[in-house]
Amino acid sequence: MQISEFEALLPRVTKPARYIDGEWNAVHKDWDSARVRVALVYPDVYEVGMSHLGLHILYHVLNSHPDYLAERAFAPWTDMEAELRRAGTPLVSLESRTPLREFDIIGITLPYELTYTNVLNLLDLAGVPLRAADRTDDHPLVIGGGPGAVNPEPMAAFFDAVLVGEGEEAVLEIAEAAALGRRQAALKRLAEIPGVYVPSLYAYSPTGPGPVGVVAPVDAAPAAVERRYVADLDSALFPVKQLVPFLDTVHSRVTLEIMRGCARGCRFCQAGAVYRPRRERKLETLLRQAEEAVAATGYDEVSLLSFTSVDHSRIEELVSGLIERLGKQGVGVALPSLRADTFSVAIANRIQQVRKTGLTFAPEAGTDRLRSVIGKRMAEEELFAAADAAFSSGWSRLKLYFMIGLPTETEEEVEGIADLVHRLVAFGRGALGARRGRLQISVSVTAFVPKPHTPFQWMGQEEVETLARKQRLLQAGLRERAVKLSWTDPQVSALEAAISRGDRRVGEAIERAWQLGARFDSWGEHFDFARWQQAFAEADVDLRDYANQALPFGSPLAWDHIACGVETATLRGEAERALETREV
Amino acid sequence: MAQFVCRYRKRGELRWISHLDLKRTLERAMRRAQLPLALSQGHNPHPKLSFGPPLPLGVTSDAELVAIHLSEAMDADQLRDRLNGQLPPGLQVLEAWSLPAYRRKETFGNIELAGYLVTLSENMQRDDLQRRVDQLLASSELVVQRGGERPERTVNLRPLIHGIEVDDGEASGVGLRMSLRTGSHGGARPQEVVALLGLDAQTDVIRYHRTELSALPTAASKPGLAQRGKWRRQRRKGSESST
Repeated sequence: MQISEFEALLPRVTKPARYIDGEWNAVHKDWDSARVRVALVYPDVYEVGMSHLGLHILYHVLNSHPDYLAERAFAPWTDMEAELRRAGTPLVSLESRTPLREFDIIGITLPYELTYTNVLNLLDLAGVPLRAADRTDDHPLVIGGGPGAVNPEPMAAFFDAVLVGEGEEAVLEIAEAAALGRRQAALKRLAEIPGVYVPSLYAYSPTGPGPVGVVAPVDAAPAAVERRYVADLDSALFPVKQLVPFLDTVHSRVTLEIMRGCARGCRFCQAGAVYRPRRERKLETLLRQAEEAVAATGYDEVSLLSFTSVDHSRIEELVSGLIERLGKQGVGVALPSLRADTFSVAIANRIQQVRKTGLTFAPEAGTDRLRSVIGKRMAEEELFAAADAAFSSGWSRLKLYFMIGLPTETEEEVEGIADLVHRLVAFGRGALGARRGRLQISVSVTAFVPKPHTPFQWMGQEEVETLARKQRLLQAGLRERAVKLSWTDPQVSALEAAISRGDRRVGEAIERAWQLGARFDSWGEHFDFARWQQAFAEADVDLRDYANQALPFGSPLAWDHIACGVETATLRGEAERALETREV
Repeated sequence: MAQFVCRYRKRGELRWISHLDLKRTLERAMRRAQLPLALSQGHNPHPKLSFGPPLPLGVTSDAELVAIHLSEAMDADQLRDRLNGQLPPGLQVLEAWSLPAYRRKETFGNIELAGYLVTLSENMQRDDLQRRVDQLLASSELVVQRGGERPERTVNLRPLIHGIEVDDGEASGVGLRMSLRTGSHGGARPQEVVALLGLDAQTDVIRYHRTELSALPTAASKPGLAQRGKWRRQRRKGSESST
């Protein structure tokens, strides 16, 4: 009996199930009869990557096509990485255990900035040269996509092409371009596909410190890359036969995408800015897809995915319809993104008749003025009315999201968060009466991160020390039995900001950080800010130029060649209005 | 309410999924099979399943047991077939039978022994292996460390080893048949015994396979299903279809 090289490593690692496939709905196509083979790679562990709907969509779009084959791979955890390097075994796909470098395309999601060292590590483990310039006809095309693609510059050197925007239609055109075989011909064809950015056809001329400069074509390529989006979401492919992992993933449930895009226009929100316009799936479509997906997966929960699900025009009928059709099988509905209002609570209340659900609101800021600055239209009375409805419907726990370090924020406004929470606690105790002891308000505080293509792209993030001081202010102000406070490390937020607003020079720092051993930076136990500072210093890049500097209006920015649908003048107008907001 | 017991097989790479992963996988397969599952009451209703002793990670088996509560009666063979139609490759119900009401309380509480077949690589010498086994069984105490990252604790494995035999039946060479204690009073894993025998898990062992679950054959064990011959009969049928 022969044990394969890779299989022999499984007994030596934690959670070996991360590296096997055979999950329900996994697809195994014949390698030799596929014209184009795509490895879909997610730069985090299996449990995180399998919760990403985009991966399921692309897997099914590609595998539904007779000529194409798609298999999956995820970032191996550090113990598996050590085993792979020790054994000299290349990273393989889950389905056929084929080395990634034998695929025609390695497609890598860029979910968010702190996964970028994992991207480099994956390429290295696959035995593919990190830099696109060093690849030959013998190597796969390395193509990026996903949320991070709206500013591809920090990763420009490592990708042959990046798809900006939504992938379900473009992925087939990209696969067909790869069928051309020869690298130069394929790159030329890729650059002609709307939404596809081929970084090697562009040069960057920085004109100042930080991400200030011009990225312009040096070869036949469009001056601006227009973000792709699906015009008709209702008829777009929705994978009802979703893969059903053995492992407990971040979201072990049917993900039903009811709507894409958001019309609310919060000024800090990148997703809201780049996934326009707001598009809905029809009620009938959703009810049918939910039933089919439950039947095809056996999940006991359907989670409604969108930025603000209660904004769907038929949300009440949708929730009632789902409960009516699925409730008796014990299948629950989850609504992860709620508005803070009584309407949302009423809908959540209907949902919890099948399965208990948590309530989360995102006031984002502590005062009405600051909420007005960031474009969050939520008056404090609405939050209290929502809380009142929640407490009287039986909830005793609420979760609240806030940001600190928002543009124009004063220390009083940070204290405003504590003040708001205290008043909510007092209100909750009164409303709950005899059940007051069960009151729990979870407060989650992150730091504001300026994001490209938003009105706040020009705003500098506050220094790490300032953010830390504001955090301590909150910690001191929220010593209260009923309050559970959690926050993100300001150093993590600083790195996120620097990469988010990064240019090609930041890419050098990312590569250096990877060489110094950075991996899984979004995992607290692996994040090492000192290593990143060293990497930035050795790459001769100042992190603060990217994270903390306010960028001048009117200067060209490193991501201006990526057109996400909102004019720069519009963003600037929004930014100026925000800065002028004195009171509500 | 109707209750059924399924004996199922777990093989191939599915040996790398944990007991919890397996539980979720079976629950989802049952829902896909549209079995009339009896659900638990409360905030998060879930199917009522009870399992035999969990299978150690990395071990295949033909002897796994799960009891399923259904809200209505159905034919046991039909249950088996419908479930098999929805199980991922590597999991297979070998047989299903309904459990009469008077036996329900016992379920699997009387199972205290698990039989394993450890297939060894071809270069293992039979005599050397027999010597190691004899030496091990002659020991009165075999203390091992347990618990990965948590504070380690020590366990004496000797009373948990019921028997070990060298088996020449394997086509590729020798193997070991082990009978190890399992269940609520503590148990030993075949990997631990392999280590105690001084074998190298990486190079000497090809696979671990659980062949049976049974009650203790002595009068000391609680009266239960095994005494009525049920499990013994299952085992004999199952060993014919081992992978």
